[in-house]
Amino acid sequence: MLQCSDMTVLERQRARLKWQEEHFQQHQQESYFSELSGVFSSQTGHVQGFHQGGLMSCGGAAGGDSVLSDVMMTRQLKPDPGLETAWPELGKKVDMGAMGFGPCGYGNGQSFDMNQAISRTSSCPPAMAAVEAVEVKGNLEKMGLAVGRESFKKRKVEKLQNSKVVAEDDSKRIKASEEEEEESKITGPNTKKSSNNNKETSGDTSKENSKVSDVQKPDYIHVRARRGQATDSHSLAERVRREKISERMKYLQDLVPGCNKITGKAGMLDEIINYVQSLQRQVEFLSMKLATVNTRLDFDIDNLYGKDVFPSCTSNFSTVGNMPPELANHPPYVQFNPIQQVVSGCGVEMGINSSDMALRRTISASVLIPDASLLNTSCFTGMQQIQPSAAWDVELQNLYNVAFTGSIEGSDLKMEM
Amino acid sequence: MKEQRRVYPMEPRTIMQTSFAKTYLNYLLPELANIGKPASSLSVDRYVDKEIEKTVRYEVDMALALSAQGFAWSHALEHKLRLNVNNNNQVGKSQSYLSHDGYRNTMPVNHEPATEKLEGNPKRSGTEAAAEEEERLTYLRKLIPGGSGEMMLDDEILLSELGSYVSCLELQVNVLRSVLQLN
Repeated sequence: MLQCSDMTVLERQRARLKWQEEHFQQHQQESYFSELSGVFSSQTGHVQGFHQGGLMSCGGAAGGDSVLSDVMMTRQLKPDPGLETAWPELGKKVDMGAMGFGPCGYGNGQSFDMNQAISRTSSCPPAMAAVEAVEVKGNLEKMGLAVGRESFKKRKVEKLQNSKVVAEDDSKRIKASEEEEEESKITGPNTKKSSNNNKETSGDTSKENSKVSDVQKPDYIHVRARRGQATDSHSLAERVRREKISERMKYLQDLVPGCNKITGKAGMLDEIINYVQSLQRQVEFLSMKLATVNTRLDFDIDNLYGKDVFPSCTSNFSTVGNMPPELANHPPYVQFNPIQQVVSGCGVEMGINSSDMALRRTISASVLIPDASLLNTSCFTGMQQIQPSAAWDVELQNLYNVAFTGSIEGSDLKMEM
Repeated sequence: MKEQRRVYPMEPRTIMQTSFAKTYLNYLLPELANIGKPASSLSVDRYVDKEIEKTVRYEVDMALALSAQGFAWSHALEHKLRLNVNNNNQVGKSQSYLSHDGYRNTMPVNHEPATEKLEGNPKRSGTEAAAEEEERLTYLRKLIPGGSGEMMLDDEILLSELGSYVSCLELQVNVLRSVLQLN
């Protein structure tokens, strides 16, 4: 019987759609409003409003939706000629779980002139779906009225017509829940502002307000004036801007090594300039070195795996030539994080000549030997058998560890020269 | 440059940092391998070295731009690099997007006493401090790629771009150094 099959179908689909609608509820409502109003532009006003009202109810209802969407799914086959253009498009959206045409058929099968299957399915499972049906109707009506009163965000829908057509039983319950729903609906678009207001009244800083409002994209930024400060809009905006700037400056202070002692914007900017310049010079130098390596060694990716860290370091030693061993054993050089030390070294010296470059190279090489454990030499030797793609990931992970830990630790250490 | 107001929150930077090294190397190393296989007709002489230097530098910069998507400076850097590639005939020496002025010689260094706060010191004359800051900010705009665009005129945006640029430069330096150490 159609009844039995519907029940199994309903049960199956209800579980699936329940979680779906939770996720898509808000989002779908609006999108479906827009799509539906476009779809139904050719339809009569009555039908249009009805459909949209049904959709609203579907979006809002808890358990009833599954019934409706189930009904939708079962009836897709023979659309009414009047609704022919509409149904196929709507049929595509069934999976989204917010189909609202069930209640339309349910509440008003006769006026709808839908196919037999629909009216049968809608009327048939009263036992199990009675509660949900009532809920659906209730939702339908309250949603219709709520939306009608509210003119929900972008869509103007003729739902008022629809709401009257729906059955009127349980009107009291409907009205009671309707109040809630309507309130929640109305405050829906305003929740952002109200939450801002709540935060304001709770006495949060203006900075937090502006953060919150930036995240939630309201029409304007709520800023609370501090005690004893000017309250006109210009100074408030100015204060917000200053706070943002100082926030960014603090972040830069953490980023640039050795800026903890320096206070004052100009000095900080000075340090930042120095640091950026030194980093850029380093990049230039490293890329030149990379180019020479490229030409000399016929750069081959696979060679990277086979090399052990120690041989590479020793080769660096040999290429430099006059490698002063005492410098390598110098405690300050060895102890510090190699990346940090090279960076700060570059930052201090303004004029860089080639001998200095060579010196720094050796220092970095010598200090990296103790840090070879980071690069996991055993991993490298084992990599020869691994497929290149997998080895890439491992090596990249190691490189990333070196790079990331280097950048993290960089802010803590400063080498005094 | 388009005039669009985009907000760059700080959180995406951390997301980018975690994948920076991988993205960077994924781009750079195959490109370097391609460079490393020159056409047989090219002989190794100084001119070719310069060419290779330029190309390597280009790839290094491009890898940085591509690994740090979503920032104004990375977009500007990519744009500039592509433009420079098209105008490659005119440039003789090795290219870099940097332009070093004699900044350190002309600009006096003022390290304020530690008692001052970051927001500004009422004791100091406002205009003097502001002028100094402006000078430094202007210089910073020259340093960062895309610093002369309209978006960077806003101090907020400039500072946040600087933050991401500095951290990406750091990551880049570390990655390059690691690559060189391995070879």
